Amino acid sequence: MNFSFSEDQVLLRNSVRAFLDEQCKPAHVRAMMHDPRGYDPGLWSEMAKLGWLGLPFPEKHGGAGLGMVELAIAIEELGRAAYPGPYLPSVVLGGVGLLLGGSGGQKDTWLPAIASGEKRATAALIEETLDWDPASTTATAVRSGDGWKVSGLKRFVPWAHVADVVLVPARGPEGLSLFLVDPRQAGVTLSRMVGIDLGSRWSELRLENVGVGANAVVGQPGGAGPLLEALLRRAAVCASAEMLGAARRCVDMSVEYAKVREQFGQPIGSFQAIRHRCAEMLLETENSHSAVYYAAWALEAGAEDAAVAASICKSYVSESARRACGDAIQVHGGIGFTWEYDLHLYMKRAKALEPLFGDAEFHRELVARHVAGAR
Amino acid sequence: MDLNYTAEDTAFRKKVRAWLEQNLPRTPIRTLDERRAWHRKLCEAGYLGMGWPKAYGGGDARPMEQAIVADELARACAPAPTNALGLGIVGPTIVVHGTEAQKKRYLRKILMAEELWCQLYSEPNAGSDLAALRASAEDRGDHFIVNGQKTWTSAGSIADWGLLLARTDPAVAKHKGITCLLMNMRQPGVEVRPLKQITGSSEFSEVFMTNARVEKSDQVGRLGEGWAIAQTTLGYERGGRALARITSYASQYGRLVEAARRIRRHGRPLVDDPIIRQKLGRIWAELEVERYGALRMLTLLERGEHPGAGGSLSKLSYSEFEKRFMELAMEILGPYGQLTEGAPEELRLEIDTAVGEQGTWAYAFLWSRAGTIYAGSSEIQKNVIGERILGLPKETRADRVGGAR
Ligand SMILES: Cc1cc2nc3c(=O)[nH]c(=O)nc-3n(C[C@H](O)[C@H](O)[C@H](O)COP(=O)(O)OP(=O)(O)OC[C@H]3O[C@@H](n4cnc5c(N)ncnc54)[C@H](O)[C@@H]3O)c2cc1C
Repeated sequence: MNFSFSEDQVLLRNSVRAFLDEQCKPAHVRAMMHDPRGYDPGLWSEMAKLGWLGLPFPEKHGGAGLGMVELAIAIEELGRAAYPGPYLPSVVLGGVGLLLGGSGGQKDTWLPAIASGEKRATAALIEETLDWDPASTTATAVRSGDGWKVSGLKRFVPWAHVADVVLVPARGPEGLSLFLVDPRQAGVTLSRMVGIDLGSRWSELRLENVGVGANAVVGQPGGAGPLLEALLRRAAVCASAEMLGAARRCVDMSVEYAKVREQFGQPIGSFQAIRHRCAEMLLETENSHSAVYYAAWALEAGAEDAAVAASICKSYVSESARRACGDAIQVHGGIGFTWEYDLHLYMKRAKALEPLFGDAEFHRELVARHVAGAR
Repeated sequence: MDLNYTAEDTAFRKKVRAWLEQNLPRTPIRTLDERRAWHRKLCEAGYLGMGWPKAYGGGDARPMEQAIVADELARACAPAPTNALGLGIVGPTIVVHGTEAQKKRYLRKILMAEELWCQLYSEPNAGSDLAALRASAEDRGDHFIVNGQKTWTSAGSIADWGLLLARTDPAVAKHKGITCLLMNMRQPGVEVRPLKQITGSSEFSEVFMTNARVEKSDQVGRLGEGWAIAQTTLGYERGGRALARITSYASQYGRLVEAARRIRRHGRPLVDDPIIRQKLGRIWAELEVERYGALRMLTLLERGEHPGAGGSLSKLSYSEFEKRFMELAMEILGPYGQLTEGAPEELRLEIDTAVGEQGTWAYAFLWSRAGTIYAGSSEIQKNVIGERILGLPKETRADRVGGAR
């Protein structure tokens, strides 16, 4: 048993961090807020060259052949930098989704293209009911020729405006299925949803009789339930890693600030009200680290408790990261409330991710089902 | 990262589990003698003092092996051994700082619970500010004469010996001039008065020392270095035992879910109420996060690293968790939670409380208030974390400004 990162994992973390410290400074994050695409394709292809866009894909699909732990490490760093771009949607929702359920042909087509940065993917996992349980899907797929026509309304689809393909769950004659949809094709309407975090982008995705071919089904028709659950778990853990990164940045900034900001003739960090708050922030952030990396390892290793570990992770980190980021503003006082100061970039990222892929309550119910049985 | 246990550790766990199946006491332990007998059995199997050197009856065991034994004991809801302070604090202190003669004289008797120990640190006016202690030990050539009062002394009423911190030099700054001594509790100048705790039982006492005698050969470490020794001793209270704690929380949690299935409100089992389910889900999530933390700590210990101030994070985390756990358990159990007698069968908590009684939720709830006070309160832990891990500036405190007293 060994809960510490390997040398390679530390190396990966350090190189992602060094790269982002250089290339994704707060000024970059702010610049992208006003960019129509919302991300910098130059940076994107740099990341592709470094192998980060295919981190968890097998080498034969142009990936680095690494696992969930490495993915979480990279995403934690992206969160720490409030990186604006479709990393999680493309690599995890699209890439890992296809990795979990795609056919050989689908993987050959999409994974190398995602890894090289040429194409971007995402998934449309939630509808008007705001229920993350794939069973709640109401979008429909009806047979049409040897393909399908898909209709439905999806919300909060991350980075769909720059995606080349969207994984769309819909209910067909065989049951719940997952389809590959080109968001630019006829019958698809995208409209922008704007949240407090201007470094993430979402769309509402409306599908009206969108025609897809026979080869657009991911996995077996009617067999998407378990696939979507598996994907949701991975997405939840990756989102937790990103929240953890944002929270860590907030803790670091708070501690640094508390050392230099003086009031009453002393650094504010010497006041227990501030010092104890910082200690609590650190405690919860360390616990979040444990939760994220335990879950990432468990998913990768196929451990017995992997599913519940993912829910434990998302429910714990959703709340602790929000608290750490909020407390950081309190530690900073007035300056923490300004647009110019960078704290809000991270705080907003964490907040935006909190309800995504199931909020704390949703995942606590899954935990309760695990320990206390179905309702 | 690899969170699988090694084949070796899995085999060891199996062996411990099999031993426990054979040897676990079949009837509840009621008397100190019964507890001592159970203690000896554990000791003979090599499951106590596992980390101590072989030469003194220990097992030179790795932290992981120690954690596995503690974990299996917790899983089996095994009664605690006796002499917790002897095993947890006094023994390790003697192993590190004691003379050869002291090691020979005391360690094996601690292991076998032939002599029970207590820790005589706190005083009425020296709690968190332990270095303010006043109990004095006067040098009389071949022995010391001890006067003063100690308080909150766990196991004081059954202890044969005490690990004592006393002032040997009142003229120097308060952190200096303290010496660590081994004091016989069974002598005329030592009076122990049990104190009743909020649980209703008496596990700690006041200790009055009037011209009590401590031989020079029972001085641990050098004169005036007791403070430094106490600092290292406090470190023994943390670490590898965390995993076992979490496992016993987990079996308590199992009982809680069981109870929530059987108790009905508004005609349906509590466990079907979404609010109750949220609470249950939250506790289990937090409990598991504590377990991950314990595994991280074990990784450190296995690598031979000292957790240092990281031990404060761990202690703060699980002691505060225990409090939240018990508060939520009380909420879930409603009026049944605070019953000490007459609770329906399904509400019994089959947890050994180390006082020879079967536990109740009410007891566990009250007891959860202790962990954030003893061994350094939560506030003190946060000071340590703030200053030593985060490097935040120290607060201006009178004792740091003044220096000598
Ligand atoms: C069940 C139990 C068993 C114990 N067993 C033993 C034993 O066997 N041997 C032994 O020697 N002692 C024992 N103790 C004593 C224990 O170590 C002390 O109670 C503890 O150190 C706190 O000291 P105090 O009770 O004097 O509280 P105080 O130090 O008076 O603290 C009161 C409050 O003030 C806070 N406070 C104090 N200083 C600061 C500060 N600098 N900054 C912020 N807040 C502060 C504390 O956190 C606490 O909330 C035991 C205590 C308990 C509850």
